[in-house]
Amino acid sequence: MLAAVMFAPRCPICHEPIAWEGNPSRPFCSERCRLVDLGAWVSERYRVPGDPADGERGSDDDSDEGGSA
Amino acid sequence: MANNVASDSSGYSADNIKVLEGLEAVQKRPGMYIGDTSERGLHHLVFEVVDNSIDEALGGHCDRVDVTIHVENSVTVEDNGRGIPVDIHPTEGISAAEVVLTKLHAGGKFDKGAYRVSGGLHGVGVSVVNALSEYLEVEIKRDGKVYFQRFHRGKAQGRLRETGTTQQRGTKVTFKPDPLIFEVRDFSFDILSQRLRELAFLNQGVQITIQDERDRKHHEFIYRGGIVEFVEHLSRTKTPLHSVIYIEGERDGVEMQIALQWNEGYSESIFPFANNINTIEGGTHLVGLKSALTRTINVYATSANLVKRDDEALQGDDCREGLTAVIAVKIPEPQFEGQTKTKLGNSEVKGLVEALINEKLGAYFEEHPGDAKRIVQKGLEAARVREATRKAKELARRKGALDSGSLPGKLADCQERDPALSELFIVEGDSAGGSAKQGRDRRNQAILPLRGKILNVEKARFDKMLSSQEIRVLITAMGAGIGKDEQDLTKLRYHTIVIMTDADVDGSHIRTLLLTFFYRQYAELIDKGYLYIAQPPLFKVRKGKQERYLKDETALEDYLVELGTQDMRLESNGTSLTGIPLKGLVKRAIRFEKIMDVVERKKRQRHVVAAIAALQDGPQDWLRDRERVERVAETVHTYLQTAAPEQLPLSFACEDDVEHNTLRVTFLTRTNGGGTRTVIDMEFCLSPEFEELRRLAAELRAAGTAPFTLTAGERVSQAGSLREVVDEIVRDARKGLDIQRYKGLGEMNPEQLWETTMDPESRTLLQVRLADAYTADQIFSTLMGDEVEPRRKFIEMYALDVKNLDI
Repeated sequence: MLAAVMFAPRCPICHEPIAWEGNPSRPFCSERCRLVDLGAWVSERYRVPGDPADGERGSDDDSDEGGSA
Repeated sequence: MANNVASDSSGYSADNIKVLEGLEAVQKRPGMYIGDTSERGLHHLVFEVVDNSIDEALGGHCDRVDVTIHVENSVTVEDNGRGIPVDIHPTEGISAAEVVLTKLHAGGKFDKGAYRVSGGLHGVGVSVVNALSEYLEVEIKRDGKVYFQRFHRGKAQGRLRETGTTQQRGTKVTFKPDPLIFEVRDFSFDILSQRLRELAFLNQGVQITIQDERDRKHHEFIYRGGIVEFVEHLSRTKTPLHSVIYIEGERDGVEMQIALQWNEGYSESIFPFANNINTIEGGTHLVGLKSALTRTINVYATSANLVKRDDEALQGDDCREGLTAVIAVKIPEPQFEGQTKTKLGNSEVKGLVEALINEKLGAYFEEHPGDAKRIVQKGLEAARVREATRKAKELARRKGALDSGSLPGKLADCQERDPALSELFIVEGDSAGGSAKQGRDRRNQAILPLRGKILNVEKARFDKMLSSQEIRVLITAMGAGIGKDEQDLTKLRYHTIVIMTDADVDGSHIRTLLLTFFYRQYAELIDKGYLYIAQPPLFKVRKGKQERYLKDETALEDYLVELGTQDMRLESNGTSLTGIPLKGLVKRAIRFEKIMDVVERKKRQRHVVAAIAALQDGPQDWLRDRERVERVAETVHTYLQTAAPEQLPLSFACEDDVEHNTLRVTFLTRTNGGGTRTVIDMEFCLSPEFEELRRLAAELRAAGTAPFTLTAGERVSQAGSLREVVDEIVRDARKGLDIQRYKGLGEMNPEQLWETTMDPESRTLLQVRLADAYTADQIFSTLMGDEVEPRRKFIEMYALDVKNLDI
């Protein structure tokens, strides 16, 4: 259960609210934005930043489960 | 040719009209002169007449043109220009007006002297209109007199005659297109209106009206802003990045006007005009405009350090994304080329337009650095999109060449060919991949090891990402293609796709990346319920010869509570709990203490908060009243005496919390010689964690009050608080237990991995629902963000809700 996050999808590229149903480009607003996203994956521009000191927040309780690191 | 410049009616006389050719051919081959005899040609007639009036306006002699469509589809065009000359033409022996109307290629525009610049669609002249009209009437007001002449299919019915006197001047032409020639006879208000509006934009300040007597429609156009207003009109539905940029100038007799505006959209719309003609095929003026824009924007971007490297030069298309522009040039001798004669051919115009824009737009950018920056950034964005699109398309294409037969080498495929029965495990790390390959059921389980790429960005900060190679391999392995045109889920090779990552930070990063990738590029796959997350155990617990795998901390805790409460009895002043009720109580106590840890982290004394959470009355009651606050303080004091006497002495202070119309109470307790201030106000009392504390505290009352007695067989122990009860029970449970914590999938041998995580008989797979993937995307976006603060807040928000966060 992920009740904490409301499902109000926005285009991940241009951040405009999008329709989900009947939108062939979902979760994007347009094919253009989908291509931009795909291009970014291929260009290795998407990174999850590591913490300066990994595990400092106590890897024994919070971070293991959270997926939030 | 005469070289005098006509500036008033005296300079515009029969001498200026030159006869070049007869009229005969027009009726025979109308298409040669007006394009066709259907809709386009029909409306062309009106424009031909209007252009004569506009020529007067260009010369500054006329500021009003009225067009009327009559009921029987005749049209009147009237202007307040100088009036067509009426004197007898020197060589033809008839009035100049009649020459203009009956001789082909006759008119003031063929003499450079009469009009310095002239429009006219093909320059065929109004005589063509006359030739193709069932009738045409002309009324000329000039030099205080009114003249009239009527024509029938191009032939004069009588000479031009004087009919009266007037104070006004101008020309009025009424004609009815010949029904024997035209297939289409009904004029379209919209076609006429649109072109007249265009003419009004291009001829600043000229008032043009159109009236349709068939249905009383009426438009009036006058644009003092000229093409600036034109651009505003064209982009009225867009969000502009700046106000319209206007450039004008005259060089070598060529007048140039340019209006530019970039908006947030992506389409480019440039309208080029030459001598009022909509040059839809473009030409030299458009080429000049485009090349100057590219140059000027790049020059500015470089000089203002808005582009970082040389190779980031913006291309022409990048510079024009989201641009609405009008360029209007006026040339003494225009050359029109192309299929429809709507392409400007004068080669000198390109250089003139370029030079003007380079100079003026460059200066504008210098004076308006804010606008310039927005425009450059718009171009940079377009360039990035172009580059990303290129790469994405390249990927889609390359995949096309790969999809049959050549599966990636890293993939250990299964034997099964039916997607509905096949499973793909995306496994993090090579060693885990190795174990998974050995442990799997090769009949229907395929393994794809992914490592993720680690990037040392700054010293001691390691970013995680999926390499482009890995993305490719993943797409190829799944076999369903990517992108709008290529993607086809019916080709998907596995209907169960399992993400299997370590239960550590790196693992969660890879999982977040993969979930985000699937959410964004394969949303349909999630909709169909094909995506899963493996649940490898985090712990292996051995008791004697019994082994047990536990998936996470919560499962371990459950197990310990289960074990610890098995033969335990809890007693306190009359109450007695065992079995399932005791287990439930202990779990709540654990949850209570965990929330307390969070409370304590936020600098509140846990025992003070615990005492307040345990009160029967809610804070909205007692926080309003000083006397009741005092009584609450006494209760807290009593509580501390048993639970934490070292925190005493206790004092408190009240102040008004005007926002909530209550009191804000600060309790001061003693901590290691210093003091802790615990602020209790409505904001805290309304927080989710406090509400849960109150709920748990109410449930924990079932245990009675301290002290507690724990009895397990022979052993009896005492506990001063529930916290000690929990500690005692867990300690008891851990006795004789061997708990092994898995740091990664790689620590399990193939058999263990199979048994715990991959075997359909015993594994648990978490199906990824849209909401999970969406949340991953949110997490990803937050982690990706540059701003530290929202990222930190986001992580804190989730820290408490660990139990519920199961991705």
